[in-house]
Amino acid sequence: MRKYIIERLIYTVILLFLVSILIFALVRLLPGDPIAAAAMANTDLADKRIMADLRAHFGLDRPVHIQYVIWLKDFIRGEWGKSIGSGEPVMTMFLDRLPVTIELFLGATFWAFLIGFPVGIIGALRRNSKLDAFLTTGSIIGVSIPAFWEGIVFIYVFAVIFSLFPPSGYVRFFESSWENILSVMMPTFIMGTGSAGLLARYVRSSFLEVFSQDFIRTARAKGAKESRVIRKHAFKPAMLPVATVIGLSWGYLVSGAFIVEFMFAIPGLGRMGVDAVFARDFPVLQVILVIVALNVILMNLLVDLVYGFLDPRVRVHK
Amino acid sequence: MAPLLEIKSLSTHFFTDDGLVKAVDRISYDIHEGETVGLVGESGCGKSVSALSLLRLIPNPPGKIVGGKIFFEGRDLLKLTEDEMCEVRGNKMAMIFQEPMNSLNPVRTIGWQISEPLEIHLGMSREEGLKKCVQLLTDVKIPEPATRVNAYPHLFSGGMRQRTMIAMGLGCNPRLIIADEPTTALDVTTQAQLLELMKNLTRDYQTALLIITHNLGIVARYADRINVMYAGRIIEKGTAVDIFKNPRHPYTEGLMASVPRLDYDIKKKLVPIEGQPPDFLNMPKGCSFHPRCVYVFDRCRVETPELIPIFENHEAACWRNVK
Amino acid sequence: MSEPISERTDGAIEPRRISRIGTKAIIRGVFKYKLSRAGIAIIFLLFFMAVFAPLLAPYDPNAQDLYKVLTGPSADHWLGTDNVGRDLLSRVIYGSRVSLTVGFFSVFISVCIGVVLGLLAGYNGGVADMIIMRIVDTFMCIPFLPFVLVLAAALGPGLKNIILALAVLGWTGFCRIMRGQVLMVRELPYVEAARAAGASGFRIMFKHLFPNCLAPIIVAVTISLGGFIMLESTMSFFGLGVQPPTPSWGKELRTGYSYLETVPLFSIAPGILITLAVLAFNFLGDGLRDALDPRLRGEGKKIK
Repeated sequence: MRKYIIERLIYTVILLFLVSILIFALVRLLPGDPIAAAAMANTDLADKRIMADLRAHFGLDRPVHIQYVIWLKDFIRGEWGKSIGSGEPVMTMFLDRLPVTIELFLGATFWAFLIGFPVGIIGALRRNSKLDAFLTTGSIIGVSIPAFWEGIVFIYVFAVIFSLFPPSGYVRFFESSWENILSVMMPTFIMGTGSAGLLARYVRSSFLEVFSQDFIRTARAKGAKESRVIRKHAFKPAMLPVATVIGLSWGYLVSGAFIVEFMFAIPGLGRMGVDAVFARDFPVLQVILVIVALNVILMNLLVDLVYGFLDPRVRVHK
Repeated sequence: MAPLLEIKSLSTHFFTDDGLVKAVDRISYDIHEGETVGLVGESGCGKSVSALSLLRLIPNPPGKIVGGKIFFEGRDLLKLTEDEMCEVRGNKMAMIFQEPMNSLNPVRTIGWQISEPLEIHLGMSREEGLKKCVQLLTDVKIPEPATRVNAYPHLFSGGMRQRTMIAMGLGCNPRLIIADEPTTALDVTTQAQLLELMKNLTRDYQTALLIITHNLGIVARYADRINVMYAGRIIEKGTAVDIFKNPRHPYTEGLMASVPRLDYDIKKKLVPIEGQPPDFLNMPKGCSFHPRCVYVFDRCRVETPELIPIFENHEAACWRNVK
Repeated sequence: MSEPISERTDGAIEPRRISRIGTKAIIRGVFKYKLSRAGIAIIFLLFFMAVFAPLLAPYDPNAQDLYKVLTGPSADHWLGTDNVGRDLLSRVIYGSRVSLTVGFFSVFISVCIGVVLGLLAGYNGGVADMIIMRIVDTFMCIPFLPFVLVLAAALGPGLKNIILALAVLGWTGFCRIMRGQVLMVRELPYVEAARAAGASGFRIMFKHLFPNCLAPIIVAVTISLGGFIMLESTMSFFGLGVQPPTPSWGKELRTGYSYLETVPLFSIAPGILITLAVLAFNFLGDGLRDALDPRLRGEGKKIK
């Protein structure tokens, strides 16, 4: 088992390294001089000398691969530079917005599990019944609705017509917990429904797969009642692939965060990223992408390790 | 004395996209207390399905027991509720499956799995169950049972897993054990050991045993009576001795001739049965064996023979036996 | 299942000979399930809409009528008009062209790249496998949306660039599926037999391996079509992708968002179409998956 963990960790580090190169290259592909873009927004900077100074300051006048090495070193040390547009330290921006996005993630995961698990299990148990068909259709609809449209519909119904939730904006938890909950209700639900559908489908197919296994038949032959068969025989093996899908859907959650934060004007990391793309704000964008990728990689690592715990066969062979 | 198990005209059909499959078509036989009965036939003839039907473990969809009666200890199992049936399974009637790797739960320990029926039916606690489990593992001759109890199935060899299944079946001291191809997945030496083990245990525990197999050698040695199955029907029934000495159905005859025997002349050729097993979706008219039969005559092609008594305790479904 | 997630053969389907059984299964998958019938019907309608747009649309989608700005639904304009007086219905109908074009072309290119690379990686193994899979893993670490967002912003606006952006990033999924399938199929006895009979590597790849790897690819293609259409509209929503005056569902939705309180239909209508398109492909893909994967097959309801 220990060997397994170490192997996975080494691989993760390599992957991180490769991803950092990819991100750096990707960001540099963006056309347009960020300094010029910033200068257009902020005329204080328009003076050519100031712009040249800024360029040197941001290291944009050095060859690309040198820039990469410098950036990598700085990143690891936590020196994330300043936003080209606003001049704010990126680290500050990040720390400021991180809890917001975390709250969204937690809320979305809550919704996803709340809806996804029961739907999936019921679908498996009542396979091919009308209920199953209904739930399956619902799950597929859940993943098919574009998040931004779902947002618009929700805003229209719950903010414009019914005035239940604020159409946009975010209130910090410690400022007012009730308003905070209201402001994240719609965004988290929208983020969550995308993953819920996927989760439901995976839970269902995983359970069906397990049910078709011989050892379930053995359990029944021993006289176990159906509820016992589900709880004590089917559940644990069925959960293994579900761990995979949680890792998979993490990426969807991230994408959802970008859209939802943008639509609901929530000051989180997703919004920060979107703004950075359009402003060609390299320092910010690089950090966001790395954080996002890191998030996904760590999640996958976690799932792999959990797999190692859950499946005794893995423990011995690796 | 009434038989322990009386199967009367049991039929199990499968309703598939491609058509109706009569996997088990009106079979009838009995098993008495303590006796060993063999159910013989080639792969796909319906013998496993018939066994699963006894425990009502046929997956629905696409299968369904469509007719007949199964009297076990005087009660018709087909009339029981699901809960009542659960009380019978693993308790009064137990089943041992082939492919023990897939038939054991990979994420539960051996001890947990063997003690499960004890906990369900005999109300034992986990500790009591595990103690009994060690004793059962000793009975089935698994070495170091006390440590093995906490092992996972994938660590066991095929033979050990099969012994585990036997232990699981014996736990509640059932009146009948159904062994579905218990040795097919094992090598010859292990096969012999396991069969001896089962024979001894069933004798010691006074349990009836139904061995389902395609291997004639096994039933020759271990079974008291034999039922031969073909294309979903029983086509010959009799004591083991009778069937081997004097097979009265061409299929049984063919089976005997195709098995190599040490007491035959070495130059004697093995005679396989011509043709292919029938397609359940497209059964021949009349006797289902007639396309492959060397003795076939007109009546065979038209009328389906039922089991005809030939001698005392020996029946065969073949028109040759009717003069 | 003891390999790390990156190696995991997600969605690999045990192959069956793609002779009659395969095609029969595909047809069954499409028509047996109510959902996939609905899906095919909707796709057909959308195709029809896209191809015959000039005939179906009551107005020129770019014709502005500044006297009739932001009207709600009326007899003349069933969906109303937009902020410069263009008929919304016509714009929505023409929008299907963009969505379907982007969807099909980007999936097509992605599949071509992904399947070839997956085949190479899975069959040859070794260095090729390692390099290809490292690239796939690296790409897949960045979630699709932000990745496409940055790439689309980098490439600039326009139909071709959106297709390119999606294709450049989309092949990874197909590659992984293909490789997983190849790994499973190449161990099968009849592939060994072909090799023993002297068949060359190339021949084995195409004649024996490939057909039996198609099942999950077909499912993935169908579902990806839905996914890419969704992404295209998301990009349009953000202002990337096709540029004005070409109508695109995502873009109409975005414009409509500003007028949500007064003319809700402006943003609701395009959204319905996007959802329908994605839904249709997902239904179809689901039906295909149920038909092609024997483990998930249900033979129907309980028999009474």
